[in-house]
Amino acid sequence: MSELIRSNGFTNEVLGWKAWLPTVDLNSATGEQVAVLQESHPQAMTSDYYLTLAHHPDILRQRSQAFNAIMYAPGGLSRAERELASTVVSRINRCVYCASVHAQRFEQLAKRNDVISEVFADPATAGTTDRERAIVQFAIDLTLEPASLSAGHIQTLREQGLDDAQVLDLIHAIAIFAWANRLMLNLGEPVFTAP
Amino acid sequence: MTSTAEHIAEPDLLDRLLDIHPGTHLHAVRHARAKVASATQGSQDLFFDPALENNLSLSERLWVAYFAARLTPQATLTAHYLEQLQVLGLDETVHVAVDSGAVETLKDARLRVILGFTRTLIESPVHGDQVALQALQHEGLSTAEIVVLAQLIAFLSYQVRLAAGLGALQSAGAA
Repeated sequence: MSELIRSNGFTNEVLGWKAWLPTVDLNSATGEQVAVLQESHPQAMTSDYYLTLAHHPDILRQRSQAFNAIMYAPGGLSRAERELASTVVSRINRCVYCASVHAQRFEQLAKRNDVISEVFADPATAGTTDRERAIVQFAIDLTLEPASLSAGHIQTLREQGLDDAQVLDLIHAIAIFAWANRLMLNLGEPVFTAP
Repeated sequence: MTSTAEHIAEPDLLDRLLDIHPGTHLHAVRHARAKVASATQGSQDLFFDPALENNLSLSERLWVAYFAARLTPQATLTAHYLEQLQVLGLDETVHVAVDSGAVETLKDARLRVILGFTRTLIESPVHGDQVALQALQHEGLSTAEIVVLAQLIAFLSYQVRLAAGLGALQSAGAA
């Protein structure tokens, strides 16, 4: 079991999520809705989140294809570093549910959660290495000040050993959480299940 | 360059707007992640399909996109969505209200609530709540329409950051 982190309202414990809108009823769902749910996530059929998004299956299909390609494709930036970036974005946008899910994924991949504790405590100073600090800072800048992004930001990442394919993976992981956080924050709320 | 309802095999929107040409380093890097590029463009095509099975009009969707890009701000996408609105015949009163950020003064109550929701999601997504969804329901938006609207605004939050990132990579040049 991982060490429990609770900090500034953020946690790495397993949370639930409850929809504010009526979800798609599987008994009356169309074949297309069921197919898209199956493609999207292993637990989508029992997830309020996916059952909300399934109201428009074509849009959900494109979203899931983008999300899964960004977070799970082999090569490029390590999956742990993608999860770190997603956790930072979720911390900045204050999506407690998303931060919890991706903190857990980071730990599963990296076998440690030191940097997650730091991100929850204070993202601006988080990172256990220069490379991690550069990734965290880039995630903060692209989340909060996308208009400020310049060649200098890319240069800083290159100096930490990221090639351009890895930089693009990082940009994708940050941008897709701008998308995911807004859905999770505005279509429902986290449910705290732990004692 | 103006494309209307006719769906011609258009080049990828971000490649076109950011001048990412085939044969260049950045084009090769971007399209090595072909599934991401195609799902990004696939989303773009769906959200701005005039025939989207939904009562959110194309004009409403384009105002959302223009306002979202303008608030970010992301100049290239702002210009793109304005151009698309001009193709439809732009309502200048709405344009003035949106540009001055005074969307609460819009006479069209439905557009007022839609753009208010857009502003919250773009600027301060944590401040969205159930009351915001009820306001949309009050203006006649169905559950499916609210889901499409939230997806659209969330997609735009992704698209403006992807454009900013690709633009920075473009100006950094090949390593």
